[in-house]
Amino acid sequence: MSAALLSTKLYIPPPRPNAVSRPRLLARLHAGLHGRLTLVSAPAGFGKTTLVSAWVAECGRPVAWLSLDAGDNDPTRFLTYLTTALQRVAPDLGAGVLNALRSLPPPSLEALLTALVNELAALPTPSLLVLDDCHIIESVAVGEALTFLIEHLPSSLHLVIATREDPPLPLARLRARSQLTEMRAADLRFTFDEAVAFLNQAMGLDLSADAITALEARTEGWIAGLQLAAISMQGHEDDRAMFIDSFTGSHRFVMDYLVEEVLAQQPAAVQTFLLRTSILERMCAPLCEAVVGVDAGEGQAMLTWLERVNLFLVPLDNERRWYRYHHLFGDLLRQRLTASLTADDTVNIAALHHRASQWFEINGLLLEAFQHAVAAHDIDRAAYLIEGDGMPLHFRGAVTPVLTWLAALPVHELDAHPNLWIAYASALLFVGQMARIEPMLQAAEAVLPADPIDAEMRDLVGRIASIRATIAVSQHQAETIVTQANRALEFLHPHNLPVRTATTWALGYAYELQGNRLAALRAYTAAVAAAESIGHFIMHLMSMLGIAHIQEADNQLHQAAASYRVALKLAGDPPLPAASGAHLGLARLHYAWNDLAVAEEHARQSLHLARQLENTDRFLACEVMLAQLLLARGEVAAAWAQLVATAQAAQRPHLIRMLPEIAAAQVDVLLRQSKVEAAAHLAQRHALPFCQVRVHLAAGDAASALALLDSLRTDAEAKGWQDDLLKVTVLQALAHQAQGETEPALRRLAEALTLAEPGGFIRIFVDEGASMAQLLTTAAAHSVMSGYVCKLLEAFPTSALPLADDRGSDVVPRPSPLPEPLSSRELEILQLIAHGLSNQEIGDRLFLALDTVKGHNRRIFEKLQVQRRTEAVAKARALHLLPQQ
Amino acid sequence: MAEQGRRTPRPDRPMYYEIRIAGHLGVEWMEWFGGLTITQEPDGDTRLTGVITDQSALYGLLRKVRDLGLTLLAVNLLTDPYDRSLDDCSNTQSKE
Repeated sequence: MSAALLSTKLYIPPPRPNAVSRPRLLARLHAGLHGRLTLVSAPAGFGKTTLVSAWVAECGRPVAWLSLDAGDNDPTRFLTYLTTALQRVAPDLGAGVLNALRSLPPPSLEALLTALVNELAALPTPSLLVLDDCHIIESVAVGEALTFLIEHLPSSLHLVIATREDPPLPLARLRARSQLTEMRAADLRFTFDEAVAFLNQAMGLDLSADAITALEARTEGWIAGLQLAAISMQGHEDDRAMFIDSFTGSHRFVMDYLVEEVLAQQPAAVQTFLLRTSILERMCAPLCEAVVGVDAGEGQAMLTWLERVNLFLVPLDNERRWYRYHHLFGDLLRQRLTASLTADDTVNIAALHHRASQWFEINGLLLEAFQHAVAAHDIDRAAYLIEGDGMPLHFRGAVTPVLTWLAALPVHELDAHPNLWIAYASALLFVGQMARIEPMLQAAEAVLPADPIDAEMRDLVGRIASIRATIAVSQHQAETIVTQANRALEFLHPHNLPVRTATTWALGYAYELQGNRLAALRAYTAAVAAAESIGHFIMHLMSMLGIAHIQEADNQLHQAAASYRVALKLAGDPPLPAASGAHLGLARLHYAWNDLAVAEEHARQSLHLARQLENTDRFLACEVMLAQLLLARGEVAAAWAQLVATAQAAQRPHLIRMLPEIAAAQVDVLLRQSKVEAAAHLAQRHALPFCQVRVHLAAGDAASALALLDSLRTDAEAKGWQDDLLKVTVLQALAHQAQGETEPALRRLAEALTLAEPGGFIRIFVDEGASMAQLLTTAAAHSVMSGYVCKLLEAFPTSALPLADDRGSDVVPRPSPLPEPLSSRELEILQLIAHGLSNQEIGDRLFLALDTVKGHNRRIFEKLQVQRRTEAVAKARALHLLPQQ
Repeated sequence: MAEQGRRTPRPDRPMYYEIRIAGHLGVEWMEWFGGLTITQEPDGDTRLTGVITDQSALYGLLRKVRDLGLTLLAVNLLTDPYDRSLDDCSNTQSKE
């Protein structure tokens, strides 16, 4: 969408300079401001826009204006324009909504409207929103959106709707509650006095009362009619009486009569200009010149003149660059144009549309170029323009007009232009209508050679495969993705970077699903490079997430965190919902580092964003993370309750693949509650090997645990899976310890520590509880990696640590304990202080009042015997209460 | 007993309609209104008659009436006894 057209829809029409003043109507409108809605409902040409623009100019409130057109039947486009319009009265409003509208697939309309309405409630000044030409809205979805808006309208926003027919809104209800002000045709007709003011003063005619009465009767006070009659009479200086007689004596449809009159009075050049430009929805001087076929400069002169003589030209901006005809006048001109051209005419309507299409294309306005090509019935040209110069139109906010046109095309035209079958499939993919796609791809294949030589055709074959790969991604079918993606990459044009990038990412995803981490990393890295080169930031983001996953799986926690942060930056502010994956990753990492407060913050952010993504299981993973955090804090019952709810929510066909992950977390809770049998049952049912190991250990069966761990280890080593290897090694150490085999236990522990230290893992040890604490204490006594071991021991809750006297611990270099240890809440706050958060931010994050935070801070400083934050952080680090930076 | 010549209306079938508006329109409006026959009545109304493809096409025509600011007086399904033959009449077929 071009910026120029965008702003013309939002342009607030200034009051007409010579408009008849209508104080009685303005007074009624002002009085209606206490209600929710002002409805101005009357046929074309009754002065609705003129009245409303005069009113808003003096209403004393900030005004947002949106002129609706056919394209706004697309809910995404409607909401985008609505939000942008509202930003004229509140610049910060709806940034999140606009961002969310750019994601694929876009979130639910209701979610976005709710967000918007909530933001509207915070409008500082009472404001006005005008929706002009509302009759154009036929889409059920947008109609419902409007109803929602009206029903939830905050008192700070008054809505004005101008329309040619009553909208499908709950008007009766609003009337009953006195929330509705109506201006209808009967109100808007010129009264006799207004007609006098208009004809004699504004239009400078000098008509008698009888003449005006006759005109008013004939036009029935219809303003557009009176205006055209006036223009016509301005040209009929000598024979006004005759004009009036003929006009009033005729049965002919008023506007038809008058347009003919007025046109006949104009020089031929003007007539041609008016008729030919009538095909344009909006026009500027150079465009008019191209369409009409006149020299440069003449277009502007004509437009200026037309505006001056009130010939129904409406300016669309302050610069006097873009205009349109009043809709009614434009329709009448169009009808005359159609009727006036004969079959011999060299310049027929298709030719005019063609000229317009070319001008729009040269000026980079591809959607309009496409629409005029369609109007010219030039399928070849439309098919070419749909490709949008590399980025197809349906990806640029034009999916509805594209789909509408394609749906109306006869099959033989689609067969003649196979790229249209593919565009059709691609557009349907964009709107999520997966079921209709495969037949179209097959139709395209039916008319394409199987192994084409021509580069363009090979690219089409590649695009077909790429679409199949994308569908397979949504179904998590790794083999299909690999086959189709590789095929796509073989056939796609080397310059078709947008599709190549998406395909490479899909390949990475497939390899990740298959557990082939090296290949996945390669593919994701290639996808990042490609995405960066074309500035495709969504693909860049998704590829960074892929890389981060692999790094995390390779125990490279710090690198993974860096990658997740790059992804977050790409997601923008406010973030795209796709950022939820980055937040969840960071939650896992901070959990692994025992930064529980930070982990929780990320998990909540991830959940919040995940809720905006429809049809994904992401929110389930977030809930599992939150349950794990509860468990880590010792809130066992709460953790269980969360997981039960999550498991319940996962009982839907597209979500059940998450059940094993949820069950694994449930096993952890059950084992903490010493419910070994129940844990065993779950581990068995969902075939969770690591859970089964823990169950064996809890049941005292270390031998079975070791047997299972042996096979898991072989597996992990064969696949090169570092994360599983670490888990196995930790559990092997514990299993040996359980059997009293201290040497093997310490060896395995040392191995695990070596694997874990670079990544800074803490929780993986702490979560194993008292038995691990005991083993670590033993290791400390043997001076095994004393720094890291000390740090790990500090992280255990004191209840898990063995008593200081137990082990002859003089040999162990224990840091001097505090006279009064910090509570877990105080430790949490200290961690946030170390992260640089202000007291207010800490309060927000932990849901504490500011005073409470300050109170905690005082206690912390007392216990640490320091005066200020920097000292507190330093001392805590020295005491290993906080991780070193 | 079914009325002579009247078929049961269905939303997807072409039907023979009459649309009545106030004010006279000339025959040059025929193409604008999808090929309907235009008849000027002595009382100042205009009748637009012809076969309309289906309900959606009918509403499309009514919208055109609305957008021109014409006053809509009536929309009638005709029970002209000749209309069985008019169903096959292609030159009044709506192009909508």
